[in-house]
Amino acid sequence: MTGDRKSSCWRKAGTNVIFLSELTMSQSTLEEPLGARQPVKTQSNWTRRIWPTLEGYLYLAPTLLGLLIFVFIPIITSFRLSLNRIAPFGNQMRFVGLDNYVDLLTSADYWDSVRVTLIFVLGTVPTGIALAVALAILLSYPLGRMAWFYRALIFVPVIISSAVTGVLFRWLYHPVVGYLNYWLVQLGLAESMQQAPNWLGSKEWALLAVIIATTWRQLGFNVIVALAGVQNIDETFYDAAKVDGAGIWQRIRHITLPLLSPTLFFLLIINIIYSFQAFGEIHILTQGGPGRATTTLVYNIFNTAFVGTPQRGIASAQAYMLAIMVILMSFINYATANRRVHYQ
Amino acid sequence: MAAQTDKARRGLHIRWTDIFVNLLLLAIGLLIALPVFIAIFTSFKLPTQIVTFPPTVFPKEWTYENYITAWNINPFGRFLLNSTIQSGIITLGQVLFSVMAAYAFAVLEFPGRNALFYLVIGSLMIPFELVFIPNYQLISALGWGDTYMGLTAPFLVSAFGVFLLRQFFLTVPKDFHDAARIDGCGNWRYLWTVLVPLSKGSIGAFAIFAFLSAWNQYLWPLIITSSVDMRTLQIGIRYFMSTLDRGADWGPVMAGAVIAILPALAVFLIAQKQLVRGIAMTGLKG
Repeated sequence: MTGDRKSSCWRKAGTNVIFLSELTMSQSTLEEPLGARQPVKTQSNWTRRIWPTLEGYLYLAPTLLGLLIFVFIPIITSFRLSLNRIAPFGNQMRFVGLDNYVDLLTSADYWDSVRVTLIFVLGTVPTGIALAVALAILLSYPLGRMAWFYRALIFVPVIISSAVTGVLFRWLYHPVVGYLNYWLVQLGLAESMQQAPNWLGSKEWALLAVIIATTWRQLGFNVIVALAGVQNIDETFYDAAKVDGAGIWQRIRHITLPLLSPTLFFLLIINIIYSFQAFGEIHILTQGGPGRATTTLVYNIFNTAFVGTPQRGIASAQAYMLAIMVILMSFINYATANRRVHYQ
Repeated sequence: MAAQTDKARRGLHIRWTDIFVNLLLLAIGLLIALPVFIAIFTSFKLPTQIVTFPPTVFPKEWTYENYITAWNINPFGRFLLNSTIQSGIITLGQVLFSVMAAYAFAVLEFPGRNALFYLVIGSLMIPFELVFIPNYQLISALGWGDTYMGLTAPFLVSAFGVFLLRQFFLTVPKDFHDAARIDGCGNWRYLWTVLVPLSKGSIGAFAIFAFLSAWNQYLWPLIITSSVDMRTLQIGIRYFMSTLDRGADWGPVMAGAVIAILPALAVFLIAQKQLVRGIAMTGLKG
């Protein structure tokens, strides 16, 4: 490697024609055993086999090491933890086999958090997707210069954290001076502030309050994905339908929605996964309460592992149960990814 | 003829639809962004105005008093610094290591490459909830609890980044690489002087993801930080808000929320196109 050669790679992409001619030349010389430019003898085992392998692994080393330490080994540790329990006195872990799992499956509290999680998922996912698709169809209308403005307004929740979402909605839900109840009264949906829902303090409303906040935060992301799906649909389908005299609703019903179904399916799976994992809003808005009204599976894991006396064994068993559901969802998502792309 | 009249009729018709759709989108857009606007406006209200009934959206008198109060009660400067360092390190790590691994998977050839790629992609399916308890125990055992190391170490690499960047690197013609090699240009130099400049857009989009998701992290900073001085903005606001029950004001809390939103909002407004394209392309949040 002469200095001259080294500097040549600074020429970057523009000169690739010259590179290519050099490539074919040197390849042909390589085929002759005694080629003048590249003596075959120097192609030792090291340059041919060992170094390229080693080099590949060196490039991968940080990623593999990181995943090994913080993902793959913890999968095993977590399972081992889930087979143990902290002895009543002291910090000793005691092997209990599958007892943690058995206890969970026979615990009313656990099944209650399964129920809460299911309601939470059913509350956030279909509404979120329906809203996103409606907005995506509206946003795909030719809007000219205003398009970026509407998009910015509608996409904005995508950058808001779960913590800030919690804070914003706690303010909106304020029982005395909250905007939401005030507007409900103004719209005639509640008779007075006193009779309006006690959003965060009552068992009946708290879960809905958390569902609304989470749906809001997810909306930005959902609209972005749905809009991309809508814009991917070939214009010619619509032109053909117009020629056939199809109105706007017929076009949405018979073209947009069917052709959007791969996107919808993707949104469904990814939203279920995100909903299963929602934590920040719940932690800030209700802390799982009142009672256990908003204690979802993830919140339950956090509670068991980090609040009061940490019971990391039981928490790990809960995490495993949750993970199996989430992994199943991810698996469906990946398995159908190809069909999704080639649908149209 | 028929087509012409149809067009003319539609021209008039569309103008009304135009107005309708625009108004509708404006109304819905404002409604969706309303919680953010309310936070911003509330943060500029006088304390007496915040708790008046009926609540008003706009401040009668603008004041930045709440920001001063928030800043004095809480070490918001410190939170901001912590969040910046935490998100900065995570973004740098994820971009650097993902670029390297994506290069190995897309360009280099070596035994075991495909198996390792599936392993990396497989890790995307593992929810954080499954691994965060062992991670917490490991970080604590290493004595990294309540340090920047502890905040960032589990997130320095990103399987998602590897996947995304590999996809892009694969679209760069392999001839570039072969030609560079023949010219005596090593892999490392080819990666950083040819491939990375060619992939600026994708790497930028991924960096934005990495930054936003690190900035917005909640569960991990919540459990791994214990002293006030190590809290990130997200955790700082959460603790600030919990003082409300003890008589604190909403104004400073909202000011804190706005401080936490602003950097992400700035990134969003500057790089909206990349962010949106990135999400649309991959359908994943960082």
